[in-house]
Amino acid sequence: MNRIDYIVLIATILAIPLYGLWRTWKHPNLREYLKGDKTIRWGTIGLSVLATQAGPITFLSMPGQAYESGIGFIQNYFGQPFALIVVCAIFVPIYQRLKVYTAYEYLGQRFDGKTRYLGAFLFLIQRGIAAGITIYAPAIILSALLGWDLNLTIWLAGGFVIVYTVVGGTKIVSLTQRYQILVILIGMALAFGIAVYRLPADLSFTNALSLAGKMGKLQAVDFSLDPSRRYTFWSGVLGGFFLSLSYFGADQSQVQRYLAGGSLRSSRIGLLFNAIVKVPMQFLILLLGAMIFLFYQFEKPPMFFNQPSYQRAIENGHGPQLTTLQTRFDDVFTRKRDTIQAMTTGSPADTSALTAQIREFDAESRNIRDETRKILEQSGAGPKSKDSDYVFITFVINHLPHGVVGLLVAVIFCATMSATSAVLNALGSTTAVDLYRPLLRPKADDHHYVVATKWLTAAWGLVAIAVASFASLVENLIEAGNILASVFYGSILGLFLVAFFLRSVRGSAVFIGALLAQTLVLVLFFTLSISYLWYNVIGCGAVVIIAWLLQQTFFRNETPVAVR
Amino acid sequence: MSGHDHPPFFATWRRAYVFAIALFAIEVAVLYAFTLRFS
Repeated sequence: MNRIDYIVLIATILAIPLYGLWRTWKHPNLREYLKGDKTIRWGTIGLSVLATQAGPITFLSMPGQAYESGIGFIQNYFGQPFALIVVCAIFVPIYQRLKVYTAYEYLGQRFDGKTRYLGAFLFLIQRGIAAGITIYAPAIILSALLGWDLNLTIWLAGGFVIVYTVVGGTKIVSLTQRYQILVILIGMALAFGIAVYRLPADLSFTNALSLAGKMGKLQAVDFSLDPSRRYTFWSGVLGGFFLSLSYFGADQSQVQRYLAGGSLRSSRIGLLFNAIVKVPMQFLILLLGAMIFLFYQFEKPPMFFNQPSYQRAIENGHGPQLTTLQTRFDDVFTRKRDTIQAMTTGSPADTSALTAQIREFDAESRNIRDETRKILEQSGAGPKSKDSDYVFITFVINHLPHGVVGLLVAVIFCATMSATSAVLNALGSTTAVDLYRPLLRPKADDHHYVVATKWLTAAWGLVAIAVASFASLVENLIEAGNILASVFYGSILGLFLVAFFLRSVRGSAVFIGALLAQTLVLVLFFTLSISYLWYNVIGCGAVVIIAWLLQQTFFRNETPVAVR
Repeated sequence: MSGHDHPPFFATWRRAYVFAIALFAIEVAVLYAFTLRFS
């Protein structure tokens, strides 16, 4: 990065929050601080919901995911439109009618205090840790590749967010997210255009797609019923539906986004906007990864994208082994590139044989990279995240023009700031509204609660930075967040489904049901090795079944309460 | 105002949901056509 990049980076990440602070600089009451004012329309809500979900992990990891395994990951989003419609039709009208600040406040009105506290507690644990991962994930990659100090990067990404989120509350979060997501979309579109432009001049875009398809990177939809396949249409619709329903219906970081402004119509249109644009947006991000894969078929890629880790292994005495692997890798790359060029310029009759050859070379390249990773782990220089997480940012730093590099690094910061601000806003609000107010200060004035929410938001910001400072990831960045969500989301969603659909079930039954279900999920998580998407389904199903059974047996004679 | 209070209001939203699902179905169809063309 040169001076131009730093100017673009600093100007971009500072300008949006400063504009937000200027627009929201006043003393709001509690309603305005937690829900924003009535000027928030559906467009802002739609972009804000989009920005909250699409954190830095999406933009760093997803192109790398397509680079490694193709664009089939898109199917994980196929359940989302259905979930958003259920949220629009059932969840939003209830939240708006009861004028709740948080989703868990509704649980208190429908059941009782202890169920409300449990819902809020499960959310706070899960989101408090996830906020740390949201800050840590991009910081570890950017600091490694740009040579920045890790803790400085964490504070740069997290510190400024704490300040403006505390000052402006929900309105500044929605306002800044609108511009941050626009910067993100412009940056990603620019990266896509440059990746296509940098392909060989004699390779048309259609031929480039054909080539990527032949190399197995463009299978977007797979209707296979084979359960061993990782991403299929069916697993995406079913698993994605439950995960999205939990996320959009019961996660305060999203609920607070679409309740901003307070109009049922704006909330619904904002959510339907997401139901329509999410799949095309994710498709283009994944296709960018496929384009980067193609680019690296003609331009030699690093054998291992996480170069700092690679260099540490050399310093630790594994240089000779890595040099041998590098020689093999270079040889395979040259032969593969020559074969690809022969295929793109040769007669169609040779295509099948050449495609088979290219796939063999590609498999051999992957084997060499696997061997490299094992050597890095043996050397003690083991990377903390998958090598694919470094693909996109390596492409940006090494192959994009100055200025654009700064903008793309700003994209990662914007994504971090927008996702983190939404989560901190929700953590502070939930702690103040669902725990502090009912348990500690039930009868204070409005101003007291605004100040308390600000302090609690700042405290959660410091917790997130502390988690980021001590975190070390065990798996892919996308999966770390999704696993954490799946372990806790199921029980939270179960609470809400019982509230909406099992009118006979009351507080004690659902409270004990949720505790038992969460325990079951944690036991399964530590003892079984199943896809994380299942924990969500198991947790949700267990709450519903156990709560219903308890209500029919042990709590049969419990006094009914007015059902809302 | 809730969606349950006004039947025409509810019907409008039902049409909006059907429209969103129809658009999603078109998106999946285009992606499947893309898969067949390029895989």
